Amino acid sequence: MSRPRIEDRLPLPLLIPFRLMYWTYERTTIPYDIMVIAILAFVWLTPPDWLQDPTAHGMGLLGWLLGW
Amino acid sequence: MTFTGAVGAIFWLPLRAIIALCVALRIHPNVLTLIGVCINLAAAWALALGRFTLGGVIMVAANIFDFIDGKVAHQTGTATAFGGFWDSVMDRFSDLALFLGLLWLYASMQRADYVLITALAMIFTVLTSYARARAESLIDKCKVGFMERPERIVLFMIGAFTNRFAAVLWVILVLSVLTVAGRIFHTWRELEGRPA
Repeated sequence: MSRPRIEDRLPLPLLIPFRLMYWTYERTTIPYDIMVIAILAFVWLTPPDWLQDPTAHGMGLLGWLLGW
Repeated sequence: MTFTGAVGAIFWLPLRAIIALCVALRIHPNVLTLIGVCINLAAAWALALGRFTLGGVIMVAANIFDFIDGKVAHQTGTATAFGGFWDSVMDRFSDLALFLGLLWLYASMQRADYVLITALAMIFTVLTSYARARAESLIDKCKVGFMERPERIVLFMIGAFTNRFAAVLWVILVLSVLTVAGRIFHTWRELEGRPA
């Protein structure tokens, strides 16, 4: 009998980071879309000042949205 | 249809026309690959000068060639094993050239922190493709991990057009590390118990 796979034994809070590392979803699937949206949100919403961006300054889109 | 599927369908229309034109002109796919690399070098130069919008526009042009070479090879019946090898090697060269452009830019701005982040992202980008190539010499397939070349290229364009390279580099770095780890794990899992 084969050993159970590690992902079958992980609780949900650990399964998410495991799936991020062991990513097996194809492009144009719902998990892929969610990942793309999360990445775009990070890139566009994170204020450049927080990352000490050498070429962009200010609070960016998040600052504009929240009126900072 | 998914969001990314819809975006892909929109871009597929003009690309089909360009592919048809290259097929009609009988342009050899290996030449298209080389043209793509040369244009990417120009994009790297623009990034090195901090001219991100120009770099983004040039990257779009370069990646059209990058994208269509395989399709043209297939449609003209000129697909060869060497063509696949040539394409892979030139892809790595293009990737490294773009990173080198950013390294030059951050070094000229005396930003050692972002020189380090860019260098790490570059290292894990190379490891991403090396891990897969080496794994597939031992196992059938090693297509795991999110951060592959198309994702990286689109992120580079987003970084260039919206001047958000710092965030883009962090994303590329973190997801490339996870991709390499995933490929090592997958290869270990597939090889476990097999004789050397």
